[in-house]
Amino acid sequence: MTSGYLENITPDSFSGEVFAFEGIERAITLVNGPSGCKFYHSATADFQTIRQPAFDPLAFPDEWFFGQPRVPCTYLDTRDYVYGSRDKLREAARFLRENVSFDLLCVVNSPGAALIGDDLREIAGAAAGKPCVTIESPGFSANIGDGYENAVIRLVQQLGLKKTNIRPGRVNILGLSIFHKYWAGDARELRRLFALSGIEAGCFVCAGCGVDDLRTIPAAALNVVLRPEYGLRSAQRLEEEFGTPFYLCPGPPVGFSATEKMITDLCALLGKNADAFRRASEKARARAFVHIARVHSLTGLPKAALFAVEGDYAEIYAYVSFLVRHFGMVLETASALNPETAVFRDRLKELLTRLKMSGALGRDILDTQGELVFANGNTIAKLKLRGHVFSGIEIALPSLGYLDVLPRTHIGLAGALTLTEQVLNGLMFR
Amino acid sequence: MKEIAIYGKGGIGKSAVAANLSAALAASGLRVLQIGCDPKRDSTRLLTNGRTTVTVLDYIRATSPTDYQIGDVLLSGYKNIGCLEAGGPEPGVGCAGRGIITAFELLDRFRIKDRYDITIYDVLGDVVCGGFAVPIRQGYADAVFLVASGEYMALYAANNILRGVKNYDGGRGRVAGILYNRRGLADEDERMRAFAAAVRLPVAAVIPRSDLFAQAEREKRTLVESGLDAALGGVFGKLARRVAAGMPLFPARPLSDAELERAVLGTEEQAAAPAVRAEKDDRNPPAPVPEGNGPQLYFSKNLARREPLHGCAFNGAVSMAVHLRDAAIIAHAPKSCAYLSYQSMSSAGRRGLFERGALLPVSIAPNFEATDLTEADIIFGGMAALEKKLLAVKKRKPRLIVVISACPPGIIGDDIDELRTLAEPDLPVYTVKTDGNLAGDYLQGMLLCYTSLAGAIIKRGVPPVPDTVNVVFEKVVARNTNGNFALIEGFLGRLGLRVGCRFLCETTVDRLENFLAAPLNLLAYKDYTGLILEDFFRREYGCVFLDKAFPVGLAESKAWLRALAAFFDRAAPAEEIIREYEAGYRREAEALRPVLTGKRLLIITYNHELDWILQTALDVGIDVVKICILNFSQDAGFRTGLAESFPVEENYDREKRAGDIAALAPDILLTNYASSGSSGVAVEDTIPMCPDVGFFSGLAMARRWAALLRLDLEGEWKNDERLFRKHYPR
Repeated sequence: MTSGYLENITPDSFSGEVFAFEGIERAITLVNGPSGCKFYHSATADFQTIRQPAFDPLAFPDEWFFGQPRVPCTYLDTRDYVYGSRDKLREAARFLRENVSFDLLCVVNSPGAALIGDDLREIAGAAAGKPCVTIESPGFSANIGDGYENAVIRLVQQLGLKKTNIRPGRVNILGLSIFHKYWAGDARELRRLFALSGIEAGCFVCAGCGVDDLRTIPAAALNVVLRPEYGLRSAQRLEEEFGTPFYLCPGPPVGFSATEKMITDLCALLGKNADAFRRASEKARARAFVHIARVHSLTGLPKAALFAVEGDYAEIYAYVSFLVRHFGMVLETASALNPETAVFRDRLKELLTRLKMSGALGRDILDTQGELVFANGNTIAKLKLRGHVFSGIEIALPSLGYLDVLPRTHIGLAGALTLTEQVLNGLMFR
Repeated sequence: MKEIAIYGKGGIGKSAVAANLSAALAASGLRVLQIGCDPKRDSTRLLTNGRTTVTVLDYIRATSPTDYQIGDVLLSGYKNIGCLEAGGPEPGVGCAGRGIITAFELLDRFRIKDRYDITIYDVLGDVVCGGFAVPIRQGYADAVFLVASGEYMALYAANNILRGVKNYDGGRGRVAGILYNRRGLADEDERMRAFAAAVRLPVAAVIPRSDLFAQAEREKRTLVESGLDAALGGVFGKLARRVAAGMPLFPARPLSDAELERAVLGTEEQAAAPAVRAEKDDRNPPAPVPEGNGPQLYFSKNLARREPLHGCAFNGAVSMAVHLRDAAIIAHAPKSCAYLSYQSMSSAGRRGLFERGALLPVSIAPNFEATDLTEADIIFGGMAALEKKLLAVKKRKPRLIVVISACPPGIIGDDIDELRTLAEPDLPVYTVKTDGNLAGDYLQGMLLCYTSLAGAIIKRGVPPVPDTVNVVFEKVVARNTNGNFALIEGFLGRLGLRVGCRFLCETTVDRLENFLAAPLNLLAYKDYTGLILEDFFRREYGCVFLDKAFPVGLAESKAWLRALAAFFDRAAPAEEIIREYEAGYRREAEALRPVLTGKRLLIITYNHELDWILQTALDVGIDVVKICILNFSQDAGFRTGLAESFPVEENYDREKRAGDIAALAPDILLTNYASSGSSGVAVEDTIPMCPDVGFFSGLAMARRWAALLRLDLEGEWKNDERLFRKHYPR
């Protein structure tokens, strides 16, 4: 009966902003809004960036923290919507100043609080006694990537970053959020690949950086945009402000070829030597090859296996490029989340045209016949509920619940091997 | 002075003053931008010879953000003055203040002000919400002019604006003075002089009353441009020169209402008039007060005790409503509100699938959609978006539609009840007007949803169906809800009983309609909210409830089965179940005694009902040294039915924990969340917030404690906390 109503509801810019700030070490994200706007964000930020070993709510007072370790809030109620949030906001900032050790206070209005019009910076900034960054308009149903970029741009503006001497060979990473399922593993893999190539890893903006790292942003020779939906606008702004050029990855570097292109391009731009990286890539390819070959010799797979992908355009572009070109798999459905963001839409369409798979774009992923489905946990669960027989490979949050103690990644050489492993395991039944 | 805000009461002539000042500034060779901040959108009309431009807000509403071009909203007026109108919603809908904020954000994005030497903001000043105060915030106007006539209400508005400025500035000087726009009234000059003196501000310009302003307006020009009167134009020319040169700025020193009256009208504050007892007038008698107490209102604990609100009513209502499986639930909300609710609903479904292979339809695929309100909907009102969504959902022919509202539409005044008119005879539309957390916390939303949907859907007079029970108030977000229900359903089956409606848990509209067919109702949880629900059903429908909640532990299970059997006259099968389970319980408890007898138990918990643990503790010989009850948003009052007495401390202060552990030396510490650090207690264990029902709930815990005591081992991982602190920043 309910099948007609199924629609995957995705996060919006408000979450993008909160998760951007939660990706900064020793920063506090204070939601100026009802407690209902903080519970999910606290739980998710805590799951993605563990900073304390226990959940004991007694350690996190009901007032402001509501028993959770992250994302305190001003718990606005009816009265505050009428008279303003000034008193609670001041009190919260004062409480944090006196009871929590932090380097940066980030205040984000909830959508409801944005209607009050309080001057967050004037109110909270004064009471916090620490650098303060504020977002008064979190956006209403705007894209999560937009929210993420709003936060990054606010950081650049409100921290007062200054132009400085460029350090040749240093890059910042833009467009990586803690909301990305494997962000920690992604960052680790990028650092590893950069180290192999002599590239200096600068600030991973809002992805495990500290406030001091943020202040070094203008020192980079190049900004690398990993996901355009989350980083292109920031990169353009940084180019405008500090003259830093940027490199736009053709989607996150998923697979061997995409990784090789990114690293060799960066080495060329920065005057570095990619030989060590190439050797590592050859070894990784060889390892993948032998496993693919053994499965292939038994079943003919993974060639021609049908698959479906759900994600932003750039994400779909990256996964499809790897899965089709490397494995010879066939794209059955490409379901775009946040389709209103035009970034990379045309590139994806061109790719699908070249691959003669244009028909896959726009199909409802809940109707897919794919044997492998690359999607978030909600979509995978819905397909299971529908009785569809397939193997689900999670590429985005929310997760079904598997806890990765060892950080995983889907990007770089390690990511290519992980995906190879997941693809082969997902097809072994046949 | 680079950015100047001109504030004044509506209709006072501030737009004409602002436009003439802009014209004079432009005539002196400055590059001027004028921004109209009034939903009337006529601030710049005289500068553009009557040409109108699309307002910033109309533009945002109709244009994709990727297509924004500043040239689409910026009109070039007299002497290249940049003319912009923020615009706003129709009166009575949406949020004009939010509109100003949105418009300014777009202008900031294009750095439009960088292209001009001076910016004039023309702002409606008798609206006092935060949105209209944006031009006087830091980063915008560096000087403020008040436009006022000598009328009392104009001066009252000017004084209010000073209050707003003071709120932002404290003692900082930012007010350039008063632009006195004469109306030609008696004693007007005296009133203005008195006001200016009282607020210690200069009158920066006196603009005489003249019909030439109206004549210029008819020509769709400013008076400055028209050149109709050199002297009048000179007033603005002189003001422009002073502005360009920079004027002294003064702090805002608003008056109290009494001071204002005294200064301007020369009157003293009147003592409040005593209430006059009205003579009895039988001509228009008021409607008679209905007998009884009127409609009963139900409040969650947070609301009733004015505690901080835990969660929001919108989420509570949505999370319950989706359990009507054949209804369609529409969230009238921005995407974020719907997403947060969706995640809280679906997390148990994902986890259940991952860990247990369970497919929980409501959690995995809730029948839930949202209107995804945009910035434009918020500014101009979201009812059109709701109607569109409602009509789309109707086409899918659900059994009924429930609309639930989040706080942004509640704040801007969207009235979702209006769309009940879209109901059809075979497709009802019901509303639960939570307005986010304006109605209260999560539990209040649950209560609103429960009582609204019950009131709307339950049919009176349905024929009774014997041997049927309803189950009321299962905690749908708990992970053991279905396991608990399966156990209860098993007991019911052995007694020859079946379940009619699970209110509200994975049920249907038909089952809810026939709720009153069941002769008995079983409350799953008898906590604060459960008792309210029971009260609701008793009052509204005369429903009969078993006086016991779903049983947890041996004693409760026996009592529950016997009470149920007594109601339906099924003693024999109930006693058979009891014999069977109790024998197993006794056997195992006896086996645990050698390990647990004499051990000291300290409990620190949010749970307010602990008999299931305490009874087992007694049965295995444990000594309960203290029970510490923490304040909990969902329940109130520690309850026990045991004859034994224990030391109990309610509203426990968490700071006492370490001291109590040291003083009482427990062997077993029970909390809801274990600490990773060592407390020095041999066994630390956690109590589930929603325990499993049945005979063995307490015994299962005692079994764990015995195993842990036998093991007498903390686990080496506990030694590594210092390494975590060393390698992971907070």
